[in-house]
Amino acid sequence: MERDAILVAGSAGTGKTTLGLQYLVNGAAKFGENGIYVTFEQMPDQIYRDATNFGWDLRKLEKEKKLKVVCTSPDLLIGGDGEHLLDETIRQLKPRRVVIDSLSHLGMYVEEKNLRKEVYRLLNYFKTKELTSLSTWETSQIAGQELSVTEVGTSFLVDCVVLLRMVEIESTMLKALVVLKMRGSDHDLSLREFKINSHGIRLSKPFIGFQGVVTGIPRRSR
Amino acid sequence: MVNEDGIQVLDKLLSSDVKLSILTLFHNNPGLLDRLEGVALRIGRSASAIEKDAEDLLEIGILQRKKIGNSEVICFDVKRDGEIQGFLSNRILKGGD
Repeated sequence: MERDAILVAGSAGTGKTTLGLQYLVNGAAKFGENGIYVTFEQMPDQIYRDATNFGWDLRKLEKEKKLKVVCTSPDLLIGGDGEHLLDETIRQLKPRRVVIDSLSHLGMYVEEKNLRKEVYRLLNYFKTKELTSLSTWETSQIAGQELSVTEVGTSFLVDCVVLLRMVEIESTMLKALVVLKMRGSDHDLSLREFKINSHGIRLSKPFIGFQGVVTGIPRRSR
Repeated sequence: MVNEDGIQVLDKLLSSDVKLSILTLFHNNPGLLDRLEGVALRIGRSASAIEKDAEDLLEIGILQRKKIGNSEVICFDVKRDGEIQGFLSNRILKGGD
């Protein structure tokens, strides 16, 4: 939904960055919606390079003023008095989409007791600018029975939560996606396998015949 | 327009490894917008180690200062960079006279 705040949670290597980039590239190429990609630790030149593996020419999109890749420190994104870091870019690009990769990095700069408030402030900033935001969030576990999307209650602040998860099925690690929350919608609750190929993320069939997939260690249903 | 003497500009651009590292960083990542400390971190140095060289690049305009909230950040001026590259290219083609 327009102006929604979407959280994509998952451990390292599950495809959060790829999903975020695909969201922006599709927005620019298919829907005429410009976008901003904000990265903190991963440098843009690496992102440009990795994106070419999927046939996405981010530099070209930037030249066409359909996309802007911004690299900064997380605390600068929170803002303070005066001009916000993204104000000028938003004025120039008139984007409809923004990806923050990764929102969890804010935790390194903001005290835990203030983190939820600052995330709330940032998400509201995007809403007032009429942007739909997709923020990634790193979860620690790769597989295992413990399931926690975020430790600071961020999932309560967003409108949609998508969980990406590695699951082990018959000695093979597969990738699973599930929409845990979509405010105001009777959404699909099925766990679906997804694959990352040369075009990006492709959703596949739901996991049928297994239970406990979301824990990462499913068992065959009887 | 670039008015500085070519030799001075070249000297300010390439007189140290740090400047080269900063320029390479911004050339490859033109969307970088960060404090001096953040820029230093991204080239594996400390803020104090790059301060003087960053100041030279700010002076010739290839880097720009911006006030964001309560912080001062540094960003790349792509237009100015193009001007300087064009100027240096012309100087080289003319034999540096």
